[in-house]
Amino acid sequence: MRSLIPWRRGEVESREHSLATLRREMDDLFDSFFGSDWFLSGPYSGRKFVPAFDISETENEFVVKAELPGVDTKEVQVNLTGNVVTVSGEKKEEREQKSESVHRVERAYGSFTRSFTIPGDIQEDKAEASYKDGVLTLKLPKAESSKKKTIKIELK
Amino acid sequence: MAEQEIQVHEKMQVNPPEGEFTREGPYFTPAVDICENEKELILKVDMPGVNGKNVEIDLRDGVLSIVGKVAEAAPEGQELLTEYRTGNYFRSFRITDVVDQEKITASMTDGVLTLVLPKSHKAVPRKIPIATT
Repeated sequence: MRSLIPWRRGEVESREHSLATLRREMDDLFDSFFGSDWFLSGPYSGRKFVPAFDISETENEFVVKAELPGVDTKEVQVNLTGNVVTVSGEKKEEREQKSESVHRVERAYGSFTRSFTIPGDIQEDKAEASYKDGVLTLKLPKAESSKKKTIKIELK
Repeated sequence: MAEQEIQVHEKMQVNPPEGEFTREGPYFTPAVDICENEKELILKVDMPGVNGKNVEIDLRDGVLSIVGKVAEAAPEGQELLTEYRTGNYFRSFRITDVVDQEKITASMTDGVLTLVLPKSHKAVPRKIPIATT
């Protein structure tokens, strides 16, 4: 049987190398099970709130949308520096009474900060932000320089 | 362990157990918190993009179902970043006799639906005074 196994050069791993591989695999296994911040968060602290964003571009403006259900608008800050938009805020846990027992916590709480670089120049003085039904919408009009220009070429 | 990238929680799409929806578009499972105090059960449902007028709460055969319809259309133009999809929400809960089904109230603020389910009279804990002679 042994003669049937083709010999390949450099296939045999050294003992140290295989230990390193094992260690890495074990680390991956623990990470995939506990998550990378399992010890920091603890099993009962709930998920960290990271709002989801959508950014789209139309002819005249960039539209940034974020799902922020239950976030007080007073707790939200939107800053525009050049073409970097930063949205930060906090979703507070609204629990009126301490005597309540909790059956299920799927909603996430906590503070968040997210920033995005908008691919183009913005007319900063005309930027608008609105909040409706838990969705934040930022409308950032494009500066003339970043609008697409179409040049018609005459056919001769 | 060094990886601390933020992870956006993706919405989970649902297929209702009783056949398909007649309206097109995806339906998502909203995140729910359920708390209980002595008198009532409180459900908080995250449904961003849903106006209070577009929520249907249906109670039938002990099953409370919530359908939230999104008023906004999906973003137009060219998409640069997509972390969430816009769609309706659906979730249902089985409700027992512990809840006084006649007195369920609902309110909606900032994309969060709050349902208050008062406990029925027999489920509210009472203190029975002992007569001393």
